[in-house]
Amino acid sequence: MNIHINGTAYPLSNETHISVSSALTLYFIEPQQSTFAVALNGDFVGKSDYDTTMVKNGDSLDVLQPIQGG
Amino acid sequence: MSLNIYGQNLDSRLLIGSALYPSPQVMKQAILASGSQVVTLSLKRQNPAEQAGQQIWSYLQEIVTEVNGHLLPNTAGCKTAKEAVTLAKMSREIFKTDWLKLEVIGDDYNLQPDPIELLRAAEQLINDGFKVLPYCTDDLVLCQRLYDLGCEVIMPWASPIGTGKGLMNPYNLETIRLRLPDATLILDAGIGKPSDACLAMEMGYDGVLLNSAVALADNPVLMAKAFGQALQAGEQGYVAGIMQQRQTAHPSTPTLDTPFWHQNS
Repeated sequence: MNIHINGTAYPLSNETHISVSSALTLYFIEPQQSTFAVALNGDFVGKSDYDTTMVKNGDSLDVLQPIQGG
Repeated sequence: MSLNIYGQNLDSRLLIGSALYPSPQVMKQAILASGSQVVTLSLKRQNPAEQAGQQIWSYLQEIVTEVNGHLLPNTAGCKTAKEAVTLAKMSREIFKTDWLKLEVIGDDYNLQPDPIELLRAAEQLINDGFKVLPYCTDDLVLCQRLYDLGCEVIMPWASPIGTGKGLMNPYNLETIRLRLPDATLILDAGIGKPSDACLAMEMGYDGVLLNSAVALADNPVLMAKAFGQALQAGEQGYVAGIMQQRQTAHPSTPTLDTPFWHQNS
């Protein structure tokens, strides 16, 4: 099973699906201390839904952070 | 007089971007020198573990707090209404504001907004409680449609983003001002010189949003100050009432009893 986070494929062995919280914990260090927002397959996922929203094989997570802009 | 954005009164009529500065320190100095109380910013893919986004975010928060200002997140890079709506929701969660500079780009060459997708996105976002500031072309009917949807602020371009070409079509911009007297009109994108900003204000525009013109100047801090002053001059000129142009010359100095006047005729 593979999921994509910010365009990079990550393998997930022995899992059929994991929560957004678990995916973030697996691949990001201490995400709870950072400022970011998440979209799953192009749809916004609010922080309150991280534990109950599941990521499946082939899904794409986008993790965005603030940057300068015009 | 103050600029009103969705009920918020601001002392400065300049909205300023936070990108392209030589350094974060220069960015801060320039924003402070401009007097602006609205700073635009964006979101991009980053791994929170790398902390880069966190540093910029902390720095921008510090600046906005110092000027008692507001953040204005944008949806730069979006090409469809769906993308813009998703990014808007992500921005609202992070920045804790329902203000949104809505950008939906339709062409990669000149970064021209896509009017169809822009309207779709604006409608969805307004229904979801956002206070939308749409970046759009200088098309009167598009601006009218956005206003009718509930966009209290409309931001037509002066010229394509980052070109510095100034006001490409003053007639269109003047017509939008004339036809939408109650809308808050902010000229956005393509501003190059302080005189461009001044001209917009002389037309009766409510404000100007710019980034490259300051960030890419040889001296961004001085240029930021110049833009702040140009907006004030333009606004005061508009309020004072600009004289009507005349087709023929009229002497400024009274000619009666001018010595030697018509002496040889």
